[in-house]
Amino acid sequence: MSDPMPVVHVRNLHYAYDGSDAVRGLNLSVRRGGCHALFGRNGAGKTTTMKCLLNLLQPQEGEVRLFGLDPAVDEVAVKRRIAYVPDSPAFYPWMTVGETIDYLASFRPQWNDGKEKDLLRRFTLDPRKKVTSLSKGQRTQLALIGALCPEPELLVLDEPTSGLDPIVRREFIETVIGAYQEGGDGDRTILVSTHLISEFEGLIDEFTLLEGGREILTLGADAARERYRKVRARFARPASEIELPAGLHARCVGRELEVIVQGDESLLLRQLREQQPQALETEGLSLEEIFLVAAAPAAPEGALR
Amino acid sequence: MTVNVSGAETQPAMLIELNYKSGKPVYLQLVDQVKAAVASGALAAGDPLPSIRPLAERLRVNRNTVAKAYEELESQGIIESLPGKGSFVRQPKSPLRKEIRHELLAREIDQSVVAAHHLQVSREDFLELVRERYEQFEQRRDSAQSIQKETR
Repeated sequence: MSDPMPVVHVRNLHYAYDGSDAVRGLNLSVRRGGCHALFGRNGAGKTTTMKCLLNLLQPQEGEVRLFGLDPAVDEVAVKRRIAYVPDSPAFYPWMTVGETIDYLASFRPQWNDGKEKDLLRRFTLDPRKKVTSLSKGQRTQLALIGALCPEPELLVLDEPTSGLDPIVRREFIETVIGAYQEGGDGDRTILVSTHLISEFEGLIDEFTLLEGGREILTLGADAARERYRKVRARFARPASEIELPAGLHARCVGRELEVIVQGDESLLLRQLREQQPQALETEGLSLEEIFLVAAAPAAPEGALR
Repeated sequence: MTVNVSGAETQPAMLIELNYKSGKPVYLQLVDQVKAAVASGALAAGDPLPSIRPLAERLRVNRNTVAKAYEELESQGIIESLPGKGSFVRQPKSPLRKEIRHELLAREIDQSVVAAHHLQVSREDFLELVRERYEQFEQRRDSAQSIQKETR
């Protein structure tokens, strides 16, 4: 991942609101053409980081670069190459859908009219409707049209589908894949923060896990799913009597035992097999399960880790 | 997730199922399932594959994942991409010598032998199982071919 020029480059970013730290020394690198996800619990620093990228907040310390440019210095040059869909998009209440689109387009050097028509039809949005009469899902769809028609090189999505119904969520992701990714011949970049990890799973090819305003883990999605394994075993006697390799914590329920392993599970499997299990199986972990394992606070002895 | 995949309405369908808990890279799951569909006759030589965009949308996977799978299938000689027309299943024709093809297959078999050992499956049962699976594939291929003949 040592791209000479990542699309997003963040080094030692700090930001505090009224003395309370939101981001504390964050590093992040997003390569061109990928879909990079930010995972983290509420308050981990995801939104603050994104707002610093978008120049909505100014970093108090550290360095932020988009396409190698400082968004605070080259604001116009950066903004014409990016688009943003927030959690709750805001529009001017006196405008209609069509007026809102014209307004958004007026800030953009390029605007794909064909895409605008396609997406309005796909979402069955009526341009004559007032934005105040739109549902939350329709507001997000309008924001997505505003973000995709300028054909940006980087699309920043902050919890874009939270609070939407499943059909709108699915359509949103399909639109990002089809209408956005297809246009760029493989070099369009997405940065997304979401709690709906399983819905974005297929789209994500790299993720960074944030905790307390810092990155604690950055991994490729395939690499992560290859690395984390869940081993389950059942014995004739209580599982709590089973000896495990040093450093591994198992969750024991009756005669069953469950261990999450990182990397090579063969040593554990050999050791478990010697103790004659009645059943022994290994399973991979989805990104959501990996997030739960990696973001969990240090577990006490005997707990799932 | 299961998605019915076919390049055109009249073509035989192929099911793609992605499993994010298999520990296997997503593009390789796509590669292996297209190869399995060709081996079982669900996809025949000359059949079109869906283009990248609709397949990525339907599977809800990154467009680049599908593109990577198609590149891999093309480099393995399973499909060919015709500019402006799309991707099609090729006539099976390996450019490799027989010894090399055997060697490549032997590596795959070794993995199954190792798995058989750990699952405590005996040599006889293992060989019987291989025969059964092979015959099942042949049957599926035959029935796919006869259905195709009837519909043409």
